[in-house]
Formats: sequence, C-alpha cells, structure tokens
Amino acid sequence: MLQNESQTLDEATMNIQPDNKTRRYDRQLRLWAASGQAALESSRILLTSGSATSTSILKNLVLPGIGHFTILDAARTTPADAGNNFFLNADASIGKFRAEEAVPLLRELNESVDGVADTRELEALLQTDEGRKYLASFTLVITHNLPAKTLDQLASLLWQDPTYPPLIVVRSAGFLADFYIQLHEHCVIESHSETAPSLRLTKPFPALQAWADTLDYDKLDPTEHAHVPFALVLIKEADKWRAEHGGALPRAYAEQKAFKAAVRARQRKLDEENYEEAEAQAVRMWSEKSISSDIQALLDLPPVDLRTSPNAAFHALLEALRLFVQDPAGPGSLPLTSTLPDMKTDTESYVKLQRMYKEQARVENALFKEILKKNFPDLRIEDAVVDAFVKNAHHIKLLRGRQSGGFDKDKDALASALQIFPKETVTHLALSALSELLARGAEPASITAEALTAEVHALVGQGVELPNDELEAAAGEVVRAPTADLPNTAAFLGGMVAQEAIKLLTKQYVPVNGYCVIDLVDSWTGIIGAP
Amino acid sequence: MATTIVMNGAAVAADWPGRYHHVDQVLDRPGPRTDPSFQAGDEVKDFLRDKCKILVIGAGGLGCEILANLALSGFKDIHVIDMDTIDISNLNRQFLFRPKNVGKPKATVAAEFIMARVPGVKVTPYYGKIQDKDEDYYMQFKLVICGLDSVEARRWINATLVNMVDPENPESLKPLIDGGTEGFKGQARVILPTISSCYECSLDMLNKPTAFPICTIANTPRLPEHCIEWASVLEWPRVHGDKKMDTDDPEHIGWLYKTALARGKEFNIEGVTYSLTQGVVKNIIPAIASTNAIIAASCCNEAFKIATSSAAYLNNYFMLIGTDSVYSFTFEHEKRPECPVCGGEAVDITISKDLTVDKLIETLIERQDIQIKKPSLSSGPKHLYFQAPPQLEEATRPNLEKPVSELVADGGEITVTATTLPFSLSLRIHYS
Repeated sequence: MLQNESQTLDEATMNIQPDNKTRRYDRQLRLWAASGQAALESSRILLTSGSATSTSILKNLVLPGIGHFTILDAARTTPADAGNNFFLNADASIGKFRAEEAVPLLRELNESVDGVADTRELEALLQTDEGRKYLASFTLVITHNLPAKTLDQLASLLWQDPTYPPLIVVRSAGFLADFYIQLHEHCVIESHSETAPSLRLTKPFPALQAWADTLDYDKLDPTEHAHVPFALVLIKEADKWRAEHGGALPRAYAEQKAFKAAVRARQRKLDEENYEEAEAQAVRMWSEKSISSDIQALLDLPPVDLRTSPNAAFHALLEALRLFVQDPAGPGSLPLTSTLPDMKTDTESYVKLQRMYKEQARVENALFKEILKKNFPDLRIEDAVVDAFVKNAHHIKLLRGRQSGGFDKDKDALASALQIFPKETVTHLALSALSELLARGAEPASITAEALTAEVHALVGQGVELPNDELEAAAGEVVRAPTADLPNTAAFLGGMVAQEAIKLLTKQYVPVNGYCVIDLVDSWTGIIGAP
Repeated sequence: MATTIVMNGAAVAADWPGRYHHVDQVLDRPGPRTDPSFQAGDEVKDFLRDKCKILVIGAGGLGCEILANLALSGFKDIHVIDMDTIDISNLNRQFLFRPKNVGKPKATVAAEFIMARVPGVKVTPYYGKIQDKDEDYYMQFKLVICGLDSVEARRWINATLVNMVDPENPESLKPLIDGGTEGFKGQARVILPTISSCYECSLDMLNKPTAFPICTIANTPRLPEHCIEWASVLEWPRVHGDKKMDTDDPEHIGWLYKTALARGKEFNIEGVTYSLTQGVVKNIIPAIASTNAIIAASCCNEAFKIATSSAAYLNNYFMLIGTDSVYSFTFEHEKRPECPVCGGEAVDITISKDLTVDKLIETLIERQDIQIKKPSLSSGPKHLYFQAPPQLEEATRPNLEKPVSELVADGGEITVTATTLPFSLSLRIHYS
C-alpha cells in the first residue's frame, strides 16, 4: 500500500470511537439515524395528565431522548394512582401533586431530557388567550381519558390552525383502548418501506442498455459467464423477447413461465447461481411499474398554496417531481435509485454496475434540482432534504387527517366501518359511549351494559344495524372496568402511542391514520376510520 | 401511610387501602367473555398476590418492562435470571438502569429497583445462566415469562419445560410466555408445554440469519458487509492466530473496521463504517423502548389472565409490525407432529445413496426447521459421528466421508444430538 494511502486510512480511523451519546443511542440510531434523533431532541411534548398510561407514554419518549416534556395535571395522587403508576413514589406520593411526583422520576431516565410539572387546570388554560397560546406552543400534545367536553375544546383549538401541533387522543377502560392522531397533514420522505425500488430493467438508461448490448454470451469465458449480474441477464432476455413478440414483454402467466425458462436455460453449469438469481428476479420484468399507484395518487393531488402550507417544502418537491416525470429530458419515471441489491457476480462487474447507477442517479438528481430551482426560485430547501426526497421518491407518503371526533359524526363512514370491521368499530363506539355518559354526569360504577348499548345505538343513529355479539362483548368489558387504568393496558398503550409519536416527530416511518383500536382480552389491534 | 411488616426476613409494606383500585375492577367481576370458572373477588386476589410465584427470564429490554408490569399487576413473588451485565447501549430502553450501574449484573440491579419502587414485592435475582438451574428449580414456579434475545436459550427453556410435563401431575405443566422484538416489530406468544405449539414447532418462522458464503468474502466481495466479514472471519485469525476476538473490545472493533475499510478501498466498495462493522460482527438488532413496552405488556397481560382467569388468554401468537401504520396479527400457531421437542414423530428425510455423513451434517445445519450447530449422529447403538469427547470424535471421524447408506439401512433412524440442546431429534432416512 502506498504510504499516503495508509496515512489517509490512519486518519480516517483516528477518533473512531463513538462518543457516549452515540453509544447510548446506538440501537435506535440504527432505525432513525442522526436526522431522526435531532428531530426528537428538538421536540417539546405536552401530556395533559399524569395517569399510569400517560407516564408510560412519556417513559418511552424520555428514554430515546425527546427535548422537553410537560405534565399538565392539577390532580393530587390518590391511593389508586400510587398503586398502578410506576412513576410515583408509591404510597409516599399520596396527597401530593401527581405531576410534581412523576416528573423527577421520569427525568432520571435520561439526563438530557428536560421535564416540567404544571399543576394548572387545563380547563382554565383553554379559557384564556395566553393559555391557548401556551397549549399550541408544543410540538405534540397527548391526552389520556380527557373528559369529552374538555377534549372537544382542546381538539378544536389545535385544529384551528394547520401550524398548531398534532394531538393524540388516548382512551382506555380496563382491557379495551383506542387512540387517534389528529393531524392536518403529515409528510414523510423516509418511510423506510421494505419494497425494493425499481431498477428500471424494462427501460434501461442508455449506459446500462449499451453494456447489455455489447455483452455476448458466446464470447464469455466460463468464469465471466458465471458472473453476469442478474440485471444484465434480464435486460438481454427482455430485448430478445420483445424482438420475438412484437415489442411486448411477457404478460400472461404462460408467457412469464416461458420467459423464466428462457432465463434459466442460459445456465451452462449447475453452479452458475447468477442465472438462478435472474430467474427468481424475473418478476421485476412484469410487476414493476414506472410509477406505483400510491405515488401516482400523490402526483395527482391538486396543488397546494405554498404561501400558507406548513409543509411548503414537501409540496414544492412533490410539484418538482410531477414536472420531472413529465420532462422530455427526463426518464419519464421517478428518479433512479442508486442503491443496488446484492447480486451474484464478481467484484468488478458489481462495482461497474453500481457506478453506472450512481452516475445516472446523479444526472437525474441534477435535473430534478434544476426543475426545482426553475419553478421555485425563492424557496430554500436544504440540499440534504432534496437528496433524501429524490432518493426516496418511490416511497414518499402523505397523510391527511380530520378533526378528532369527526369519524363519530360521519354516519356513512361509521356504517361502512361496522360492515368491514365490526368488532373494532363497536369497541371504539363503546369507548365513545362511555365518555358521553360520563360527560352527562353518570356515576362510573353504576353504568350498566344496557345504558352503554343504548348510547352506542344513539351514536350511530337509527336504521344502522349493530353486530350484537361484538357489541355485547365490548360493552360488557367497558362497564366491568369503566375507570380502570390497568398496568398492562397502560404499558401497552405507552408503547403504541410513543411509537406513533416518534414517527410523527422524526417524520420517518408511517403513523396510523384513523383510530387504532385495542382489545387485550382477545389480544388484537385494528385500524378504523381512516379519512 | 402504609405500615411496614416483616415477612421472609424482608421489610414489606402492607397494601394501602385502594392500592389495587384499578386491577380490582377486573378481578371483582367477570366480563362477558370471561370463563365461568373465574373466582371473582378475594380468592383470585389471594392467589395472584400470595401464591403465584413467577419466573422472568431476561432482565434486558423486555425483562425490565416485564418486571415493572408484573409488580404493578400484583405479582409479589418474582424471580429473575440474567447472565449479562449492564452496557451503556442498554440505557436507551432498559429503564431500570442508570449510567452508574454500567458493568453491574442486570438481574441484581433490576430486582433492587423494583423492590425500592413497588413496596411489598419481592424480586429474587439470579445472575447466571438458565442452564445452571435444574428441573426442581423450574418446578417451583406457576408461570415462566421469557424476554430473551437468544434463540438457543429459548430452545433450551422450551425443551426443559416440555420435558418436565408429567401427565399425572397437572402442577408440572408450566405455561411459558415468550416475547421478542426487533426494531418496530415484535411478537408475544403463549406456550402450554405439550398442549399447544411450542417454540421448537415454529423454528422455521425465524428469519434466516444472513450468512455470506466464504467464497464471496474471499474472492468476490461486493458489499461493505463482505469486507467486514473478511476482516473478522479470515483476517483476524490469520493475523492474530489463536487470540480470541472480543466484539466488546473497542480496540478489536477498531482493528476490524480499519482492516475492512482497507479491503473496501482495494475493491472500490463504499460504505464500511464503524457502526456497520460493529453491527455486523456483533449481529446487532435495533431495539427501542416503545416496541419493548408493547410486547412486554402483551406478555404480562397474558400472564395476568392465566394467573387470574379474569379473561381468556392468547391462543397463541400475537405479532406486531409498526413500521407502516400499525399492523398486528393474532393467530393459532399449530403444533408440528414431527417437532423434535413436543411432537414425537421422526422427521422423514430423503437423501441420495451417495450422500456422505459430513454432507448430511451440512444439510442439517442449514435446514431452517432444525438449526443445529454441531450435531452428533448415532443410529441405534452405532455411533455415526460424535463431536465430543475427543477420543470418540477421532474414532468416528473416518465415517464423515462414508455414504450414509453404508451405515444406515433404508427406513432406518438416525438420532441427532447437540450439547447446546436438551433434546434429541429423530430422522428417518429414505434413499432416492
């Protein structure tokens, strides 16, 4: 090795020991990387209660390192709280403010997280401008079993302005629970989808096509023949097929089978695994669309007013993508990915292929940036964000939601959900009925299954048939334990809600859109009420 | 405030009035789906709080959560086993540990924390391996919950609990609840040894571990992972001889990284980083507090339902994927009749007459439903190949190159054993 080269290596490996923070967060950085971590660290989260469920949610947010949390709770610790909440000092906390008791025990989980107890009444804060401003100043607001009237006010406040924080509404009673994320719009660039992006094998870019054209199986020596990357095998076979089939690729099952057989017939010796791999990958030739239906739906969305949108950058990028796809100088599809899957080939061919993809991806990335700049000259978007968008263009996501409670008022949506997801929907309705009855002043322990069932009927309106067995199962569980915040249900919700909060805050992975309903009697979860 | 009484030599606070207000709501009356055998009220509470000794295996990501949930649910006699000490990378999720605890045994620190936080709960730690304990030890528990990251340990406890079942003695059947997570995904399951599908029955559901063929690593590297494997599998022994590689030693990881980086440079392969090097050689699985919380809660919820009969327990598998919205699937995993642990039937295997004993061993190592690392083979009284002791290994080594058909008749059985597994596997051999 040359001396200066080895020096470069030495330099590169100096100070490679990760610092304590990287070591502490190693297992999560492998999921959301430094960018996700930075987003978490700049977040400020409000919990409107110090219940067992609320502190369980917070625990799972403090550990990965959010920036700040506030527990807004005017209640004093009851003997029941001291029994089911891990973040209280057991019976020593009884009679003291629940928020003040919980905050230090949560803070000690992670020294870098700031936490505050606020013992004011939420109801009072909602009445003043200053209070409302304060509530809207957080990155995310989470409630647990908030009384219906207060919840309506809070949800309306946070819905008023698309720049206000999203709200997660959590409800539970005994073994049953649901939660809902109120958000106007949520844009995800890094969805971490597990479906592989297109390698564009049915429409190769010029350099790739040229390589395939010059490759002649008959002129390869046995070693070379056993190392032709599957991408090239498939491109060549597709060219031959098109020539013999009037320019069309295999469509019908029999044709697909014949195509695969033709690929496999290239194999000269049993140990030429590259042809087996090509056969297994042949599905790419008929299943890969240049633009998936999900992405097409995003491209078809009506344009958004960038002056008012809180997600102006994303929408500008989306518009640029639309123009990129239509641009005659472009590929007529989404930008090429530069990440190649492994292929059974030799180092040289693989590296050559990888460089080709990288070069083409670079060219398309430059075209994309040119389009973006031309159409949005005044918009400043970090280069890293644009690069991430281009790289993940196959997997971008856009969620649009509605105000909390909207599903319960949408009789058609309810009726249709009852048809498709009966047990999930009645479980959700049973929890809604409980909060209605409590709002009207019912004594929890005296609520009967009959009263709850009648309330569910009232919620869905006349003429809607309800699945009786499922309704009885859900209503009976709710009245059995109307105010029970069971430790295991709290812990389960603590994980689920924190997971969704992390997805919202990092803008990575895809959050739930709709209600997530949970039944821990039969151990299932389900999603209903997606707008 | 609670009065303190002394029980079993430990100071234990008595339950304060209202302590179990939440849990008691589901113990004082049945729900519509509760089995009629449920004894609502004092009887079930006494059993849960005074008689239901429970074992938690693992005091890591799942274990910390499990211990806290059990304590709050009312289990008061909890034992925990873990052989690990606390590492700084545990602190993003193992919430009973603080930076000052790094290097201390997980089981001990976790037990002390729970006892300090939840009065009246006794947690007995054991800092060591599950294999150190015998059947008498496991027999004392009503339930076992596992929060482990090792397939081998799970197979061991599963087989041990299945073997313990004595049809004459209902007390010998110990329900096993097993949880596992990876990133945003996880699963929880209930195993009733000999009655429902066991851990071994579902071995083929595990993701196949990524293994890179030696020839790729040595001759045609393409990915940064290939360069790292080259550094750890081929270069380390070549350069360091017998010196054992310690993946927890930063200097060793540093050397591997540097070596892999140089290899990458030589072959124009990009992407070798310190973090990836660590990930590959330590087989690091991403882990976060929230997923562990969900799965641990699910495990403890099942334990609570089994212990109290307040609701039906999971039959028998719950899996969760949280990457794209929330998707979960609850289903009954079926017993495998040829499961070597709980099935009893031999596995039929058809091989060529020319297949040698060492090739058969290779096949067994690769089979997803068998996954046996260093198998020893015998057929009736005949030793085909034994990995140990050395004398027996030497005596049976010549058989490795012989065709199996020379040693075992068509339709004959081969018994496969391995020191890591407390059971044997029967193969019925057919020749094609």
